[in-house]
Amino acid sequence: MNTREAKEILFLYRGPIDDSDPQFRAALDYAKSDPKLGQWLREQTKCYDALRAKLRGTEPQPGLPDKIVRRRPIPFPRDWSRISQLAAAILISASVTALLMKWSDRRQRPVFAAQEILVTGEVLDMTCYIASNLSGPAHAYCAKVCIRNGEPAGIKTQDGKVYLLTGEPGQSINTKLADYAAQVVTIKGKKSVRDGLAQLQVEEIRKL
Amino acid sequence: MSADLEFGELVKLYYGDLYRFGLSLTGSEADAADLTQETFYIWANKGHQLQNPASVKAWLFTTLHREFLKGCRRQNRFSNESIDERMEDLPNVPAECAERADSRTLLRILGEIAEDFRAPLVLYYMEDLSYKEIADVLGLPLGTVQSRIARAKIQLLRRLSETNLPIEAK
Repeated sequence: MNTREAKEILFLYRGPIDDSDPQFRAALDYAKSDPKLGQWLREQTKCYDALRAKLRGTEPQPGLPDKIVRRRPIPFPRDWSRISQLAAAILISASVTALLMKWSDRRQRPVFAAQEILVTGEVLDMTCYIASNLSGPAHAYCAKVCIRNGEPAGIKTQDGKVYLLTGEPGQSINTKLADYAAQVVTIKGKKSVRDGLAQLQVEEIRKL
Repeated sequence: MSADLEFGELVKLYYGDLYRFGLSLTGSEADAADLTQETFYIWANKGHQLQNPASVKAWLFTTLHREFLKGCRRQNRFSNESIDERMEDLPNVPAECAERADSRTLLRILGEIAEDFRAPLVLYYMEDLSYKEIADVLGLPLGTVQSRIARAKIQLLRRLSETNLPIEAK
């Protein structure tokens, strides 16, 4: 180690606070053997102390600590074990409730398994039929337009039973049914009933 | 000891150091007070997450510095320009030059040093923190911190000597 190297290392030396830092040890030993470097070190340490005293000499506003304490937010203690217990209780309770509701729903509203049937009757535009009791040849044009535009379609049998007509799940059958609007046809399909509403999933249409 | 009392004790213990750190970073008493308040506010909300009680001081300084940097970014006045000071040009500033400088001048000179370099330099001067602790507070590698302190110190001493006394020949 030479004087320049020792000086570069000791440039960051602050005094006793850095005495235990091994990076300064060799350079400090070297400074002991070099009076000129030792003098420089004393001067630079003194300079450090002076600047430190200046920077540390500034006092904050007198009321600052009180202001900080007053501004302190109201602590909200979070006991995570209790929170997780509560969350587990809510989850279990919700699951049990959901299961009970489902079971109750099944008991009250039985769903009949789909069965294949043949139905003969008039193809209806359900919107106009239910809301305004419109059907028959006089309403044929309106029914055709409504069904083509996506309004629900249905079929009314001769004994007055009405089925909602649908396609395969996710596939509309309206375009095909629109051609038979207000006409009497025979439809083969799968019947299913929920909450008293009958649905016929169309498989085949035959015009009489 | 109640939580209020603990909080009050903590404030008493560290508000001065935090305020001075804030003042050296911002150069403004109002900003320093705001930063100090904000730091304790964050402590009140998140301090319970700290697992090692011995590192409370470092946590507070880290938080204040982080808030300071956030403010710099918001005001778009963040400067990370490097200080191009060479170790070969170590200034030789007599102690009396530092003794003669008033605090206001010192703060002004500190304010002229880039933020990236100012924080390590301030911690180097003001706090009894080891270099490793300073690196931890600022979230920087030890070598980077030492290099920044050295370069910032050269700049500080050079500007200080320009303000007060001419630099003596090396």
